[in-house]
Amino acid sequence: MSAPEDTPGNGENGMDRDDPVIAAEWALGLLEGEELLAARGKYATDPAFAWRKEWWDNWFAPWTDEMAGAAEPGDHVWQGIAARVGTPADAGTDTPVVNNGGEVIELKARVRRWQWVAGITSAAAALALAVLAFAPGNAPVTAPGEAPPQLAAAPMVATVPIGETGLRLDVTYIPESEKMLIAAIGLTADGVHDHELWLVPDNGGAAHSLGVVTPGSVRSMSVPAEVTAQLHNGSRLILTREPIGGKPEGVDAGPVVAEGAFSQV
Amino acid sequence: MAARPRPTSDEAREALREAMERLAAGDQAALEDIYRMTRVKLFGITLRILGDRKEAEDALQDVYVNLWQRADRYDPARASPISWLATFARNRAIDRLRTGKVRGGAVGIEEAAPLPDESPLADALLVDAEQAAQIHKCIATLDERTRTHIRAAFFDGKTYAQLAEQAGVPLGTMKSWIRRGLQRLRTCLEASEAV
Repeated sequence: MSAPEDTPGNGENGMDRDDPVIAAEWALGLLEGEELLAARGKYATDPAFAWRKEWWDNWFAPWTDEMAGAAEPGDHVWQGIAARVGTPADAGTDTPVVNNGGEVIELKARVRRWQWVAGITSAAAALALAVLAFAPGNAPVTAPGEAPPQLAAAPMVATVPIGETGLRLDVTYIPESEKMLIAAIGLTADGVHDHELWLVPDNGGAAHSLGVVTPGSVRSMSVPAEVTAQLHNGSRLILTREPIGGKPEGVDAGPVVAEGAFSQV
Repeated sequence: MAARPRPTSDEAREALREAMERLAAGDQAALEDIYRMTRVKLFGITLRILGDRKEAEDALQDVYVNLWQRADRYDPARASPISWLATFARNRAIDRLRTGKVRGGAVGIEEAAPLPDESPLADALLVDAEQAAQIHKCIATLDERTRTHIRAAFFDGKTYAQLAEQAGVPLGTMKSWIRRGLQRLRTCLEASEAV
């Protein structure tokens, strides 16, 4: 780590300051674009950086006392929150999709169905979320006796936006299928790099590779049980830039270029 | 603050801590309790950052929905509930400010609905006073220019580019000022922790 204390010209390219200062900039809200993405990726993979970010957050938090206005939010705010989290309704009542051909097509159809269901009523999502909230730790399964088992079938989706490009990776995990559907539509291969997707464990341990992303296509991939066991609402994904073929053995992963988190449909 | 009979700060903290615990256990009623206890403070934050009542209310809604969805993220070992919630609310507001078309900036008090008398716990829920005193002491050791810019970043959600433009200096200069300020701030805060 370099100490930028006495290097007045260090600000221009934004690269030569130390992590604690970057964490502070992030805590203040000064990071944008690629730098913000990089910081979020680092937060997910580097416990020291995560610790420092929270350290700054804690120190800056008292300043929020000075922001406290005499303002009261409108009643509709709570009503909106209650509508979005509450009122369990008809989730999980759909009939299973008929297996009508290729695996990807079938998975996509089920995802569309879920998106549709979630679109017309947030109740399904809310109930599924409630199930997740009950689950202790990072267990993706429903806690015993606390939820109807069919809800475990609710897909989890993550959107991983690629920088400021407007392109994104859509990752869908369908619990009962043990498959992950990774849509990289709009991405093109540059012939020099591949991008590898990783699941970041909550405990700060090593990230699990979910494999190399295939640009311009929708692929399904099997997910090892050790990985699915860690999946839950809020599980974080990062995308790194690697040499063709993915991260070589014995080498550190490449730079984090994008990140996202799963949420239950 | 002491003019009206209110729960003491300690009672408010304890009530919030207990509600956060219930929330983590999946008790949905806890969310409403947390909302009731913290909405005024958190709304003050989103309103200050976003400068628009509608946007601030939308951000506030996101904060509590998110809180419910990911109640397990709060780690009591790292921060007090109100400190964590305040940080969370501010971060959501900043995200919204950066991605949206919101103009941001301070908001006139007249835009805000009046605070009802019975508003419970709202102003009792301050972040730890001792900690507040220390950050104020350390920020006061910085030169006034640096202090002003760091505060503008925090309170108004200004970007480096906006701060540089306001001050009429190159972007790189503003970055250097703030980064050196943050470096000193860190040294001062760490010294206070060592005592």
